[in-house]
Amino acid sequence: MTDKDKEKDNRTPEEKKTAEELAVEMKVASIKRRQLAYSSDSSSGNPEKTKEELAARLSWKEKRKLKAERLAEPKVELNRRTLRRQKELLLITIPFVLYGFIFYYLPLGGWIMAFQDYEPKDGLLGSEFVGLDVFRYIFGEESFLYAFRNTLAMGVINLVLSFVFAIGFALLLNEVRLRGPKKFAQTVSYLPHFLSWIIVVGIVRDMLSMDHGIVNDLLVRFDILDKPMNFFSKPDLFWWIVGFSNVWKETGWNSIIYLAAITAINPEMYEAAALDGAGRFGKMWHVTLPGIKPTIFILLMINIGNVLNVGFEIQYLLTNAMIKKVSETIDIWVLYWGIGQGDFSVGTAAGIFKSVVSIILIYLANSAAKATGEERLF
Amino acid sequence: MKKTSTRLLAIMLAVTLLSGLMAGCDVLGKEKTFEMFIAMPGTELNEGNKAQEKIAEITGVKVKETWLTGQTAEEAIGVMVAAKDYPDFIEASDGYQIMVDAGALIAIDEHWDKYPNIKNYLTEEQWNMCRKEDGHIYAIPQFGIVNDRDVSPIHNDEAWWIQTRVLKWAGYPEVTTLDDYFKLIEDYAAANPTHVDGTDIIPYTILCEDWRYYCLENPPLFLAGSPNDGSVIVDPETRQVIDYNTTDIAKDYFKKLNEEYHKGMIDPEFFSQSYDEYIAKISTGRVLGFVDQFWNWGYTAQDAIKAAGLTDCTYVPLGIVAEPGIEERYHNEPVLDVSGGLSITTSCKDIDGAMKFISDLLTEEVLTLRFWGIEGVDYLVDDDGLFYRTEEMRANAIDANYKADNLCPYAYFPQYEGMNLDGKNAWRPDNQPSEFFEDLLPEVKECLEAYGAKTYVEMLNPSKPNEPWFPMWSFSNDLTTDTPGGMAWAKMTETKHEWLPRVVMADDFEAEWEEYLEVYYRADIDAFLAEMQAEVDRRIAVAEGN
Amino acid sequence: MKKPELEVKNDMQNEELEVDTRVFVRRKKGLKRLNPSDVIFVVINTLILSFAVAVTLYPILNTLAVSFNDGLDALRGGIYLLPRKLSFKNYETVFNMNNLLTGARNSVLRTVIASVLHLSVTALLAYVLSVKEFVFRKHVSLFYVLTMYVNAGLIPIFLLFRELGLTNTFAVYIIPGMVAAFNLLVLRTYMSSLPDSLRESAQIDGANHLTIFWKIYAPICKPVFATIALFIAVFHWSSWFDNMIYNPRNRELTTLQYELMKLLSSVTSQTSSGSAYGKSTQSVAITPTSIRAAATIVTSMPIVVLYPFLQRYFITGLTIGGVKE
Repeated sequence: MTDKDKEKDNRTPEEKKTAEELAVEMKVASIKRRQLAYSSDSSSGNPEKTKEELAARLSWKEKRKLKAERLAEPKVELNRRTLRRQKELLLITIPFVLYGFIFYYLPLGGWIMAFQDYEPKDGLLGSEFVGLDVFRYIFGEESFLYAFRNTLAMGVINLVLSFVFAIGFALLLNEVRLRGPKKFAQTVSYLPHFLSWIIVVGIVRDMLSMDHGIVNDLLVRFDILDKPMNFFSKPDLFWWIVGFSNVWKETGWNSIIYLAAITAINPEMYEAAALDGAGRFGKMWHVTLPGIKPTIFILLMINIGNVLNVGFEIQYLLTNAMIKKVSETIDIWVLYWGIGQGDFSVGTAAGIFKSVVSIILIYLANSAAKATGEERLF
Repeated sequence: MKKTSTRLLAIMLAVTLLSGLMAGCDVLGKEKTFEMFIAMPGTELNEGNKAQEKIAEITGVKVKETWLTGQTAEEAIGVMVAAKDYPDFIEASDGYQIMVDAGALIAIDEHWDKYPNIKNYLTEEQWNMCRKEDGHIYAIPQFGIVNDRDVSPIHNDEAWWIQTRVLKWAGYPEVTTLDDYFKLIEDYAAANPTHVDGTDIIPYTILCEDWRYYCLENPPLFLAGSPNDGSVIVDPETRQVIDYNTTDIAKDYFKKLNEEYHKGMIDPEFFSQSYDEYIAKISTGRVLGFVDQFWNWGYTAQDAIKAAGLTDCTYVPLGIVAEPGIEERYHNEPVLDVSGGLSITTSCKDIDGAMKFISDLLTEEVLTLRFWGIEGVDYLVDDDGLFYRTEEMRANAIDANYKADNLCPYAYFPQYEGMNLDGKNAWRPDNQPSEFFEDLLPEVKECLEAYGAKTYVEMLNPSKPNEPWFPMWSFSNDLTTDTPGGMAWAKMTETKHEWLPRVVMADDFEAEWEEYLEVYYRADIDAFLAEMQAEVDRRIAVAEGN
Repeated sequence: MKKPELEVKNDMQNEELEVDTRVFVRRKKGLKRLNPSDVIFVVINTLILSFAVAVTLYPILNTLAVSFNDGLDALRGGIYLLPRKLSFKNYETVFNMNNLLTGARNSVLRTVIASVLHLSVTALLAYVLSVKEFVFRKHVSLFYVLTMYVNAGLIPIFLLFRELGLTNTFAVYIIPGMVAAFNLLVLRTYMSSLPDSLRESAQIDGANHLTIFWKIYAPICKPVFATIALFIAVFHWSSWFDNMIYNPRNRELTTLQYELMKLLSSVTSQTSSGSAYGKSTQSVAITPTSIRAAATIVTSMPIVVLYPFLQRYFITGLTIGGVKE
């Protein structure tokens, strides 16, 4: 198809429907049909099935092509006529742009603090400019580089673990057929989300305690260890303790969005898979997982940008002096060396650094997604 | 129709919001309300607190106290300074210097002429120690100002604590040196490895969490017979500062801990335990001994042990020294801390009213109300004018609910310790000897008597007058990384905090110790000592009136 | 498994019904041919999930047990699933906190107002951005997506809020953060997935966008609205940082979570070395573990109870897509 053709398509909405949109409509139609079917208490087959199956069996190349078509931007030229035609949309958008500008972008003016020797009593306008000195200072500090490494490492571990566990949990929970236990499991799973880190850390420390902590008890009982181990004396373990604490606290909560996405999968896909002889696991693996792939990719992308935001509470509460070299995060570093010494410039510079790294990561991830033809953020 | 209702809603919202705003500065009748922020964790009083109402009747003022929550003092103060929005009163704690630098505080000495209670609260020399570079006083110290004499039966400070059952088992022996102390603990642990609840006893534990790692770090100072200067030893003869971290006494102390660690006498989790866990451990009564400041553990763990009925598992203090012949100085007189205090901010609209309130708080009537409560309700008076309490009153005084509803110490306002202004009673109940004896466990009484003591304090040498430079921690606490000495101090602290636990656990003590010293000396120790020495000299000069 | 009822009350129930029936049909089939690999799968799945539930539930039950235990006794540790020395004193203390009612009022108010307001506003923008031919669609999306990653820092934001007169007001809980990029993406993706003909036919009938949004899109989007409303509600219910920064001293504006933080942080407050030697005449105020546990239970209970009611709306799916979708 040429660009011209697409443009033409846009003007005739009925024609430009892509396979996936058709599928949505078909789903709506089939749901309605089946409601009728059930209300007369029969489970008749439906004629669309073959089409659905066809769609499910398209090769990935074809699917990609279809998707590319769907994602192709309707080409609308920015001219006076378009603006006049879209006046209402524009009017609605203006307050949002103003709002976004004031609340998210205007305060970025404060970033100049990072280029100043900021003194609260002189304010933003009165403080002395020092160029890049603050950045030079933080990159010259060994402890900052450690903090950066730790933050990145914990960020990546958290990202991977939280994805694997949340998706895994959603998939497995989806396979539970009994409604009572399913609801119970889901309700229980998100409870830890409501506990603050102070409480959670207390629980983690209890579990890992050398003195009758349940983990040590089990490890000793099954002869994996001869005597209880102090988990907090091993620098290699710290990042993982943080990672799994996060898993414990957030898996249920994070899985909500996947569970919701799973329900959007066309039920007929499962039937098609069943006809192919897929078992429970096969359906989960070949239908459910691919069905939520777009959601996974977008969330992954969003979270890659947040990889440096690992916070400070849990690390601060779990650490001890001997493992400080692996536990200190950028936020803790800023608390201690920046704000703790009354130096807001340092904190701001570290914040800018984090933002820049985030945007670079996001850009890289997005480019990678673009190159491989996966779902992407922008 | 719809529009009117929307408008009505908007007006209602506006009124609600406004009234919320007004509540912040209400001037109900003649009673004034001041706001106060204390950059320390604490508990808010409940609305209608009885003692607070009573104080308001007398002084015409009520102060709404807000405490530090979920941030550090510097952060909280930093935000205030950036916004130039302060409460009327502030105890800025670690943020004091930031407040002074920002010009956020009013000079107390420019307003005190009408208030002799304030002006005479400290001596001329003491006030001079509080003055900042510009010669003004921006904060009134609240702690360590003793009226008459200190009668506290409780040793509130650092000591080597040991359970009375251990001493009793050994027949109340003389315990003076480090070797004596650990020998005793080893012997007891060997003979009684199991606690009453069936768990193993923990012979000795050390708290290392964050700033509380002084439990591991500062004993060399005390073992050498010095008082708690905190960051250095000051030789009373030569008046020279000495770094206690690298003395022979320090090395012997850590070597001893290392030996005990390998004998299994030291809690293997000592360096990674949190403060909560530490308190929990002590509260079970399983721990035979440890070094700590009493205020850090006593008010919680000691009470928990008593409540659990483990009456032979409470602790008494021992003044351990490195070798016989060294005079210990664990107990010192209350310390005047001039590194901060109560300040009035530039946001205060009624400075005179604020000063008058501080002054009123220092009268006998109000001081008694603040620390003893309401007569007839919280305490009773006998024929000789001595205050006493019933069992119920004593229970009330440690009940969080009751306190929030009934007691109002305004703890971060100036106060007199030692004796009440009536000259008969102690400044607060737990310092009143009669109260103390009433509450004393028989096991503890027996133990104290065995050592010829009546109170905890008498277990230690009597305090000597504080030297003019004492305590040096009030200077080192205010060091910032802006000076070479401050930078060195920060680095030293970091190194010690990381290395000392390793030294204690090392398989090869000598090698680890050498390695530690090597890292330690990377900091500019001399710069630090020079700044400390300069401060010692300055304080001596101030005290001698130069 | 209950049999599907014939009567259909509304769309939501319809959806539920459908899923149920599917299960029902499936099970019947499953009985016919017992696939051994499926049996293994179900067994393993049940084991894994039971383990997950146990691991998650235990600490919660533990917190509950501690909250009903005597405070001094709880200090000694060693409490597992049941209180050792039963006491209601902790709850008494928590309910006696005098800011509790004010805090509860403000928390409920901000949660309700924010959920409704933020959801409607975000959904409206999401609708606009789901109109595929809208010229600035990509720009505005990117404009908001970037807000997830750039952060001006505490002080500049504080100064802005002060200039806007938001500090020391209830409005500071509501006005900032009205449009969260994440929620925007979820809503927009969902709306984009609806057939364009839905909008276009209405436009041909002369309806304007606001009407289309309100009359056509909003009802269809109910399930995704429920999810986003839950996200917003939970966020607002658990917020305390804005309270601490912008309204720290006005007790009329306190929230439940801030009151909880006050209780919790009196132990772990990061008091720096300043107090290591000094201020020793003041005993350190700590809140017993048991009171902390009780406060945690009290403050998180309301939203925990709310969840199952919203959960039933999650039956129809939502996905999330990028700026271009």
